[in-house]
Amino acid sequence: MKQLYKQNRIKWLLVLFTVMAFASCKVERLSPAAESTKDISGDWTVISATRNGTDLMSLVDFSQFKLSFKDGKYALINKLPFLVSKDGTYSFDDPQYPFKISFTATGNPAVATAFTYPIVNGIRQLTLTFSPGCPGNTYVYTFKKAN
Amino acid sequence: MRSFLHINIKGRALWGLCAALIMAIVITCCSIIDFSVDQPDTAVVGSNTTMKVHFTFHNIYGDKTENFVFGFLVPKGWAAAQNTKISYTSTAGNGNLVLMPSTTLEPQSNGLNWPAAMKKKFGIGGNLIDDMEWVVYQSDVGFPLSNGENITGNLTINIKIGADGNNTLCKLGYAIAESYDGLHDPDGNIDKDPGVKYEYFAEMITPCFQLTGGPGDVVDFCNPQLASYDPPKTLDNDFFTITYDGTVATTALNNAQAVYLCATANTADGKSITVCEQTVKTKLTQTAAGSNRYKITIWPRQFFGITDAQTLTNMTYYITDATGNIKVGYGNTASPFTYTFKCK
Repeated sequence: MKQLYKQNRIKWLLVLFTVMAFASCKVERLSPAAESTKDISGDWTVISATRNGTDLMSLVDFSQFKLSFKDGKYALINKLPFLVSKDGTYSFDDPQYPFKISFTATGNPAVATAFTYPIVNGIRQLTLTFSPGCPGNTYVYTFKKAN
Repeated sequence: MRSFLHINIKGRALWGLCAALIMAIVITCCSIIDFSVDQPDTAVVGSNTTMKVHFTFHNIYGDKTENFVFGFLVPKGWAAAQNTKISYTSTAGNGNLVLMPSTTLEPQSNGLNWPAAMKKKFGIGGNLIDDMEWVVYQSDVGFPLSNGENITGNLTINIKIGADGNNTLCKLGYAIAESYDGLHDPDGNIDKDPGVKYEYFAEMITPCFQLTGGPGDVVDFCNPQLASYDPPKTLDNDFFTITYDGTVATTALNNAQAVYLCATANTADGKSITVCEQTVKTKLTQTAAGSNRYKITIWPRQFFGITDAQTLTNMTYYITDATGNIKVGYGNTASPFTYTFKCK
């Protein structure tokens, strides 16, 4: 009889442990961090430029040219051939995951271009591809934020 | 014999058949016995010009239906895809060539389409200005091929020549291939019959062809020029690089310490603007010390200081020394170099 009682106690303990083991688990709900909207405000200077794949940095002085973004507006400082030739407003196709940026020069229709925004060696870069003259001539400018 | 798959293969005949099948797969197609081109030496801008191409494919193995492929190397300004008709007669049938769709990939070039593959394989045929294109066609129907057959064909190319109006000197190129093997590298599987010259494909660049009588600029792809342009076609809102090559001819500027641009541009609204000074703005930089080659990159809108409302149509220029007294013009003459701002 005593033996039977002992066995029952072990069974109960086992059940208790099992219940406790399951109760200790908790479903954790992970919510993905929201992708930040891309903020490109500030002045940007050209760090590399190509024309039809040929390097332009050794041919043209880009040091004075700046692209300035602020409050949905952009300005060209010391103009060089670019997607647009006048100041105006800019917007992204998607503020969180932009693939295109469009520039609307005052009084002109919007022009959109492919937009990449990578971090290279810890520095945020902005790369734009466009044809300011003949459509067959493709320019790629890479900017970094001016200090 | 008992193979590792535990299949009994008996008899020499069966092995022989297997070997023949493998050979037929490896050597799928063609070698080319003859390939020739008849083209005039000159033509008038805007005229209908005829070129003829003759060829014989030989040593055709396998049981495949293949299209004949033809590539035509021409200046981009001719817009050959729009201005050319090509018909063929052959021992396999007659018909027309149609433009190769740009989505059709050349089978040997890892994802390049046919025009890009031909440019990579053949370049621009020794032309000195990279403003040429391979326009690629294929036969309107595929031909079922059988072992050992020869196919002789003739192409008749009719082109309304010189769509850009330029008086052009260039080397034209012709290439033939077939759609299955494409631009397969020669691998020694060529049929050893006498007369076979090419394996898988054949390419030919003809001597300098001259186009005259047009209203446009003289564009010489064949001969080194005193002045050359990068890109060849620009508008006033492009960066425009002019290279002056003093090694092409002995000029009054030989071994000058520095050379300068002296230019006059015309605007669409009929104004003429001259920038002829010997300053940093107009100075050409020598590409390497002692090279006698100089270049300058300008943004024409800024260089000539035009307003937002104005556009430039063309410019004429001389290359000068530091005093501005010694001037070199087109072809080392007293006439200026000329350049038209246009995209076609």
